[in-house]
Amino acid sequence: MPEPEITKIEVGDGAAIPSPDDRGLVSAWWIALLGAIGLLIALPLIKPDPYLRILKFVPDGILITFEVTVLSISLAIVIGLLTGLGRISRNRFINLAASLYVEVVRGIPLLVQLFYIYYALGRFVRVPDLVAAVIAMAFCYGAYMGEVFRAGIKSIDHGQTEASLSLGFNHRQTMAYVILPQAWRTILPPVGNEFIALLKDTSLVSILAVADILRRGREYASESFNYFETYTMIALIYLLITLVLSKLISIMEYRLSHYERR
Amino acid sequence: MRTLLAALLLLCAMSRPTLAETTIVFATDATWPPMEFVNEQKQVVGYAMDFMAAAGKEAGFKPVFKNTAWDGIFAGLAAKKYDAIVSSVSITEERKKAMDFSEPYFTVRQALIVNKASTAKTLADLKGQKVGGQIGTTGYFAIKAAEGVEAKSYDEIGLAMEDLNVGRIAAVVCDDPVAANYALDKYKEKLKIAAIIETGEAENYGVAVNKGNKQVLDMVNKGIAAVKAKGLDKDLKKKWIGQ
Repeated sequence: MPEPEITKIEVGDGAAIPSPDDRGLVSAWWIALLGAIGLLIALPLIKPDPYLRILKFVPDGILITFEVTVLSISLAIVIGLLTGLGRISRNRFINLAASLYVEVVRGIPLLVQLFYIYYALGRFVRVPDLVAAVIAMAFCYGAYMGEVFRAGIKSIDHGQTEASLSLGFNHRQTMAYVILPQAWRTILPPVGNEFIALLKDTSLVSILAVADILRRGREYASESFNYFETYTMIALIYLLITLVLSKLISIMEYRLSHYERR
Repeated sequence: MRTLLAALLLLCAMSRPTLAETTIVFATDATWPPMEFVNEQKQVVGYAMDFMAAAGKEAGFKPVFKNTAWDGIFAGLAAKKYDAIVSSVSITEERKKAMDFSEPYFTVRQALIVNKASTAKTLADLKGQKVGGQIGTTGYFAIKAAEGVEAKSYDEIGLAMEDLNVGRIAAVVCDDPVAANYALDKYKEKLKIAAIIETGEAENYGVAVNKGNKQVLDMVNKGIAAVKAKGLDKDLKKKWIGQ
């Protein structure tokens, strides 16, 4: 039996995940990281007013950003798994429902979805701002995630299913014990990518008056008129967070590629 | 050919007077009814627009209004994307450090808007609750200055009103003509003006220009003074605010 081929799926617009083989100090990732850290330390030291004030103003925003990101991604993974399974389901009704969900969500900009769930549906169901933000983000990313799961499951050779069925497993068992454990390896890296993309997209929830990093920055800038300084710091904070996350995902990817490496 | 030339010459001669007139581009965040907003014909209209048009007639300039998001309206002025801002900008000491202001063209107070059922009369009554305002406005600064109140900043005042309407926040603070527009008109079944907040001295709207832009400032000031001297502002108040 030929060795099962592992397909890589590229989805989403997350941060560029650094190559796991790139271990040198002079790489784009290291330059960006050291530059971001350097500026974040140097600027407040050289010019405490306003840089240090800005740094003191935004931390609770960072917390909110993380909160929204982690809650949304957790929910999106659950929705994504169900959608992915639904999309390959042979039950026509489930298949149609999952496909419809993906088509509708992918066709509406996230910003519009946020406005819709918060302000438009707010007339009928009163959800707190943070909950609305998480629901909207998870609803949107669940659809993208569904595609990732679907592609991951599809990437497993059909022979595996046949073998599993011939061993007497039913469809549910085949999926749970044979297909998903293998698909997981293909799925995880793009999920990490989506995680970073989602973190960056949480900046959109600032329009719901959620006090995330960006909203805190805007509040500071609108009062002090230090637009250049404020948005420089905001950009650096986001950059630092995504750089660290992308490295973590890269390490994870390296670990998972165990079987591919020789 | 000759008639064409003549026609062209005539056209030039006719357009000359308008060429001589200076155009001043005003930025405005047209989400602040009745002072400045977009009507159903998608035109930027309101008290400020009529006021500046009248001022322009008096002082010989043609106002052009550019609808601009509030968040970033001052940055755009600094970047010289327009000549001035007429967008219900209250004259404050902080802002005076960053830009020059014309003479006041309107006096406002900050109003506290709550749900009809609420008994709150001051910001102090709303301790531990969320109160909303538009980002970077004097109303929002008043909320932030109030102790124990959770301040929430919105991009537009209408979004804060909607959140108050559905009950996500306990109150909104904004300029009184705007408050009247929402509480006495659009949301009159649900909202009411609880009180006028004392923010110290009276607040005045002024036209903001870049520091040292005397040319535009003088023209605007001349227009404002003329409109006030003729009492045209009283007619405009009646037209847009009804008082």
